[in-house]
Amino acid sequence: MRQVDVLIIGGGSAGMAAAAAAYEQGVRNILILERSDRLGGILCQCIHNGFGLHRYQEELTGPEYAARNVAVIREKQIPYLLRTFVLDVTPDKRVTAMNPEEGLFHLQAKAIVLAMGCRERSRGALMIPGTRPAGVITAGAAQRYLNLEGYLPGKQVVILGSGDIGLIMARQFVMEGIEVKEVVELMPFSSGLTRNISQCLNDFNIPLSFSSTVIEIRGRSRVSSVVVAKVGPDRKPIPGTEREIPCDTLLISAGLIPENELSKAAGVQMSPSTKGAVVDDTLQTSVPGIFACGNVLHVHDLVDNVSAESEDAGRNAARYVLGELAPSDFSRAVPVEEGQGVGGLVPQYVSPSGASETVKLMFRPRAKYPGGAACAYIGGDLAARKKAVVLTPGEMCELTVKRSAFQNAAGAVVKIEENS
Amino acid sequence: MWDAVIVGAGVCGAAAARALSRYRLRVAVLEKGSDVCAGASRGNSAMVHGGFDPEPGSLKARFNVAGNRMFDALCQELAVPFQRSGTMILAVSEADMEEVRRLHERGNQNGVPTQVLDRAALLERWPAMGEGAVGALFCPSGGIVCPYTLVIAMCENAARNGVEFFLNTEADSIVPMEGGWRLTAGDGRVFETRLILNCAGTHADRLNNQVSTDTFRIIPRFGAHLIMDREYIKWVDTTITQTPAALPTGGHTKGMGIMPSVDGTVILGCDAVDYTDPDDAATTARSIDAIVDYFKVFWKYLPISAVYPSFPVEGVINAYGGLRPHPDRDDYIIGEAPGAPGFLNAAGIESPGLTAGPAIGEHLARLVVEKLSPAEKENYRPGREVLKPFREMSEEERTEAIRQNPDYAKIVCRCEQVTEAEIRDAIRRPVGARSVGAVKMRTRAGMGRCQGGFCQSRVVEILCEELGCSPLEVTQSGSDSYILLGEACSHRFEEAQA
Repeated sequence: MRQVDVLIIGGGSAGMAAAAAAYEQGVRNILILERSDRLGGILCQCIHNGFGLHRYQEELTGPEYAARNVAVIREKQIPYLLRTFVLDVTPDKRVTAMNPEEGLFHLQAKAIVLAMGCRERSRGALMIPGTRPAGVITAGAAQRYLNLEGYLPGKQVVILGSGDIGLIMARQFVMEGIEVKEVVELMPFSSGLTRNISQCLNDFNIPLSFSSTVIEIRGRSRVSSVVVAKVGPDRKPIPGTEREIPCDTLLISAGLIPENELSKAAGVQMSPSTKGAVVDDTLQTSVPGIFACGNVLHVHDLVDNVSAESEDAGRNAARYVLGELAPSDFSRAVPVEEGQGVGGLVPQYVSPSGASETVKLMFRPRAKYPGGAACAYIGGDLAARKKAVVLTPGEMCELTVKRSAFQNAAGAVVKIEENS
Repeated sequence: MWDAVIVGAGVCGAAAARALSRYRLRVAVLEKGSDVCAGASRGNSAMVHGGFDPEPGSLKARFNVAGNRMFDALCQELAVPFQRSGTMILAVSEADMEEVRRLHERGNQNGVPTQVLDRAALLERWPAMGEGAVGALFCPSGGIVCPYTLVIAMCENAARNGVEFFLNTEADSIVPMEGGWRLTAGDGRVFETRLILNCAGTHADRLNNQVSTDTFRIIPRFGAHLIMDREYIKWVDTTITQTPAALPTGGHTKGMGIMPSVDGTVILGCDAVDYTDPDDAATTARSIDAIVDYFKVFWKYLPISAVYPSFPVEGVINAYGGLRPHPDRDDYIIGEAPGAPGFLNAAGIESPGLTAGPAIGEHLARLVVEKLSPAEKENYRPGREVLKPFREMSEEERTEAIRQNPDYAKIVCRCEQVTEAEIRDAIRRPVGARSVGAVKMRTRAGMGRCQGGFCQSRVVEILCEELGCSPLEVTQSGSDSYILLGEACSHRFEEAQA
């Protein structure tokens, strides 16, 4: 059986950054397994710009960003297998995979980095009533049809959800001569980046309705209209507010879900809050030697942050292989909890064997907090505080805390203190 | 001239077609949908009923019991997933227990053995059964089947043996003619036939009432279901329903239930609401809420509540609706229509129609054979060759399958692990898939947790390769249900350059 020191599952921006960092750390026996026929993951279909502002101080398109990552992999001659689908991962890090060239095969890894990314929430999961015609499509699937295959998934579109991909697609649709009738958002705020609301909707005069949702899909063979209603604070439709919008397409952009089927197969402990693995600050999961990073760990806003996080994961996986990082043991780590107003917290533990001087705590506010402050308390003492003009679920927050502050602490909590 | 035209490729029509394909007869099946199994046989609970419940002596009881007994051999022969996982009626009060005892007695009359379990006996088999569950009726001969695989399999087998299928073909008018009937389709095509088998589901009344002196009405009775992720199947090993409830509009419903599916998902449902439109199977907020609200309460009695204390609504991956063809009388309408010799009905086949269907189809075929006395074919083949789904293969089987056909190493649908080999096969089979929806029904591609988000474009591509068409011609489910509506600017530009 082939032996690999650091095995990386997923050849998107997360997997490539992890591989490069593991290489920099001195490990040479690295292998990336990628399901599709090219490296780059979802970036390949994101032809809009805005990538790389933080990492490269340049405004790149998705394929350009991916190309820079691929250039690093090529330069370091890090091996990768394309069209390779991973079927199983065991807790002792035995991997079953297959591809058309080699058939089904096994690998034994010393460390694994999970970098499988995420998928979109579908109509089914939202339980939207109505008929089941053609023309109900997720934003990412529409993006693929348009950008990779050159076809229009619709001509008159209503978008449900103000997630970033939906906003990006709204702008692109307009450029393609497609009519975007409206963006409908269940919450009283957007889950997308402020810059996308401004550049993709406002600049193109596309209306955005908050506290509204699609309550029915109509049309027998193809969508003919959708019924939109306002919702109350309980997010239930308010009778009497219904209006019918004629359209041939309902684009769903209602959130992303980390793809963790393999993580679960490997016995990794999962977080109900992030829907990703529970990790310590070295990004090591509950299964020693298995690390997670990027959108499979928690859904990010910016690929720049995915790359940075994944470098940490790759570096730590290499250190684990080299015997410089101890196997994870959450019972000896300091637990970090989600307090008032905080969701999707990563990491959930701070490991005593972490090497970095500081620990980065990432999370999403559960609601919109104008003038709110994100605070980290360790053992009751305020360790970090960051005030913002507005804290919103659409933008991930980050607090940096000195590692020394966690020493001998029983626990820590991150919470939002509202403007008083 | 056709010997027999079967209207409707649901469970009854498909079973009749298969049974008739044994004989030297010219048989056509007309289906108005773009694929077989497009109506009531598709949108139901996927249950194979034991038969303890219908009124003793009724056609319902007779064909339910007879149909149930056919399932082992039928599903074995046609490679259709089927499990005798049992059905349970759970009692949560003394009144329910009385109903349980009454149904047990009824089962005895119908020749269907059931077990009355008190709480102790219930806990012995399902230790995690919730507090408040006082007892149950358990029917070991009940089970679950994949309804569309069953119907597709019967159609494939019938086609393999010479029955012709006409999809997208709606039977419109029927008039008597010398020696039979002249049937005109919605698009004007004419089918002259000696016999007509009316298996038209919610449209059966429209056909019958054109020719018979005994007119009836079919009420489309809607029901919705929710599908839950595979994650929950471990704790759902048998079908559990409440005690049957009377409906204000006549008849009764077997009530809400939770059932395992042969595909490894969990099905919840269904409610019962009378409609007027025979084709309106759209789900409604009212129905979905009714199921969710019901399970928020009923959940605590179920064994799964030991693991998930409250109903995990986030585990729902999809909802679907279906129409039961409910007749305006108490029983199924089966056999030659009064005043219309050679026009045979299988009408009002509501629940337990999926179970009864194979027996009803055989019965209709016997009536045809009595009338036409055909010879049997020498080369009739009862079986069906299928590719084993990749997701069900052992590692050795996978290795071997990929060695023989590298398309098995190409996963198209990640959630359900459907390979390119299976998708190409679904298109190439008899009565093969011609749309994204038909591929889904045959392979499960697009049925998983992402609901086709990743694989749909790849399925479109394979359909184009196999059928030699453009992506712009690919539909979700026939007619004008086009997936794509035009070419992007870049595409149009490239073409202009070339």
